[in-house]
Amino acid sequence: MAKLLMFHGRECPHCRAMMPLVEQLEKETGLVLEKHEVWHDEKNADLMRSYRPVLTPQCGGQLRVPTFLNTETSAAVCGEIPYEKLKEWAQK
Amino acid sequence: MKKKFWRCFVCNDIHYGLKPPEICPTCKVKNAYVEIAASEAKVITGAAAEGPFTRDDFIRAIRALAEGQEFMVNPDAARLETLFDGVFNNEQNHGLKFCPCRLRTKEFEEDLKIVCPCNFLIHETYKGVDKGECWCGMFVKR
Repeated sequence: MAKLLMFHGRECPHCRAMMPLVEQLEKETGLVLEKHEVWHDEKNADLMRSYRPVLTPQCGGQLRVPTFLNTETSAAVCGEIPYEKLKEWAQK
Repeated sequence: MKKKFWRCFVCNDIHYGLKPPEICPTCKVKNAYVEIAASEAKVITGAAAEGPFTRDDFIRAIRALAEGQEFMVNPDAARLETLFDGVFNNEQNHGLKFCPCRLRTKEFEEDLKIVCPCNFLIHETYKGVDKGECWCGMFVKR
């Protein structure tokens, strides 16, 4: 299982806004974020749900997109966030 | 405590909740509600059902909701189109107008919290925030 995951929704404007930042991060750092669309792919949705105990305390008590999860440390950030915050999460 | 179905014996309004309205919103009669079975409520509301609820119906409904409140429907038309695609796709694929910026847990009661419009007044993106908005941005503070 990949270390860095991004859960996103096809019709989520915040997710769309984050995509260029994710691209920039991957180019700059060489890190790869494995992307999982959750509303049109039930396997991806089940995957995100499997992380529910880890995600909800860090994301306002809900499963939200976009959510960025480090599967090794369980650190998660969610929402439309500044590039610096995304990079900080990715590199921890 | 479990929610129940109630019928106004004067005008046949149907209510779903722990308690019925003291004054019927339609005929204004006091103490007119009687508890009924879910099946009876289904028959009465089923007969009244018209065509599908279109996007225009939905826009109309959320604008009516926002009228006179501290929030309004986001004036960004392009964003709204994306969000409407989301809620309508989710309704088609998953049964209800789930927020396209959350994910359902598949626990029915829990997932009712993310049916659009949701109770965004309590979310940290809205409550006490200057240019607050609901999580997906469909509703924004005026």
